[in-house]
Amino acid sequence: MEIKASKRQLLLFVVIPLLPLIVFWIIPLIVSLWLSFTDWNYISPTFNYVGIKNYTQLFTSQEFKQALAHTAYFTFFSVVPIIVLGFLLAVGLNKLKRSYKFIQALLFAPWVTPLIGMSIVWGWIFNSKVGPINQILHLLHLPEPQWLTNPTAAMWTIIIVTIWKNAGWAALFFSDALAKIPASLFEVSDMEGLSWWQKIWYVLIPLVSPTTLFLVIVMILECLQAYDQITVLTQGGPAGSTTTLLYLYYQLGFKQFQMGSATALSIIILVISAILAYISIRMSRKHTYY
Amino acid sequence: MKKVQKIQGYVLFIILLIIGLLMVYPMIWMLASSVKSANEILNQPLQLIPRTLHFENFTNALKAAPFMQWLWNSTWTTVVIVFMQLFFSSLIAYALTQFKFMGRNVLFAIILATYMLPSATTYIPSYVILGKMNLINSLVGLVVSNLANVFVIFLLRQSFMSVPKGIIEAARSDGASEWTILWQIVVPMNKNSILNATLIGFITNFNGYLWPSLLLNDTKKQVISVGLNSFSNTQGAFNQTFPIIMAGTTIAVVPLIIVYVILQKYFVQSSKTSSIKG
Repeated sequence: MEIKASKRQLLLFVVIPLLPLIVFWIIPLIVSLWLSFTDWNYISPTFNYVGIKNYTQLFTSQEFKQALAHTAYFTFFSVVPIIVLGFLLAVGLNKLKRSYKFIQALLFAPWVTPLIGMSIVWGWIFNSKVGPINQILHLLHLPEPQWLTNPTAAMWTIIIVTIWKNAGWAALFFSDALAKIPASLFEVSDMEGLSWWQKIWYVLIPLVSPTTLFLVIVMILECLQAYDQITVLTQGGPAGSTTTLLYLYYQLGFKQFQMGSATALSIIILVISAILAYISIRMSRKHTYY
Repeated sequence: MKKVQKIQGYVLFIILLIIGLLMVYPMIWMLASSVKSANEILNQPLQLIPRTLHFENFTNALKAAPFMQWLWNSTWTTVVIVFMQLFFSSLIAYALTQFKFMGRNVLFAIILATYMLPSATTYIPSYVILGKMNLINSLVGLVVSNLANVFVIFLLRQSFMSVPKGIIEAARSDGASEWTILWQIVVPMNKNSILNATLIGFITNFNGYLWPSLLLNDTKKQVISVGLNSFSNTQGAFNQTFPIIMAGTTIAVVPLIIVYVILQKYFVQSSKTSSIKG
């Protein structure tokens, strides 16, 4: 039975613990929305209400359109390989008869190590003159991209680091989902004489689809919030080519002090995230993922 | 047939081992580079094993920047943050699952609706609020602004729901206070979720960058990620400074590698409960 809480209990269990949540989570979310309708510049004590001007300005600005396109590109080309690689690694892991734990530990290590530090290391690995990647490409007589100074290559550097960080993590979830598939299904598919890729295509992929959907959403949210690898490797450059929505938010808010535009942008990021979160909550009512 | 399967097993193992080693190659390369001389790195970039060991890279890095101070700052703020988040979240989660009170459903709706939202949206107002409290450029400000975590509340609430009602009613009829029931019965019964939240909280806070980088200015007051990045930027991307940057990065990364190696099996299990970090 749930009991009716006394005033003292409410104070202890609800009011006091809620204070930090209200001050540093709920109020800031509301204030951000409110600031997005002003022209506040952080320094001046006064500001004006400008209606939806910050939003219309963003939607018509080249900066925003580019950042949106970069975010979509970055997210798509990070999430798809993370999911595919994560799935294939999990299929392999679950077939493994030995050293399962050891391999799993290797695959998962990137998720634990600090992304700032590891991005600094990646910056040197991708260094176009002395980095090992171009040294290997040189030995193989392949073209050696200017990883961090060419706009397209710079975006791919960020994407590769993002895939590196998350693929092993995705594999853990797939590995669990695959382990839950009843063995009888494999016996049936063996009797039906399915080849290995038919098994993957007709049996495994449909059965793990709830996990796939969940991972896709979580990974999109992760990409929307990607910052560390960008600030270390490219700082949004060259020529804005790796400036995502979140990085643009940082530049508008904390470099240019255009608090109105910055909060408006953060509300746009929030709305995109909220839609994805809503989909995932709706889905989790139908399925269990973990 | 058996033999074919055995060979397939070996091939699979080798492929996965190679991919696994590629995943940790950056860490290994970092460790190797941290004890090389600049010339060795430049002349034989693909040679992984150092010919001579240059541990002075580490003493030089430690002289150039207060790494130990930064590690300590990250450690104590992370410990306090994770502890306080668990403490407050346990109270709220208990109230949400065991008490009837006005606004309970609204409170849970807010938590459910916002736990996946990007915390970046809160940064500008939070910065202003901390400014009013005189806590900008202060590690206490970093702790205070991180006392609440909607994800931890959500996680513990889901976990506390599974505690059988009979146990709590029995404790109540024995005269146990709600406070006692929470800390002596409910929390120990949910120790797996608490452990998960602890490890995820440790990783995300210890590795956190953007918010502390906005909040903290003084070199002495940095957390390790922010300090390391500014150290790497001030050393510059010159070939001669390469080993000292790798030594600095190693100092920042190795504590986590050690923790990971010791607690590996818990990490793998915990990470699966984390979908979103606060």
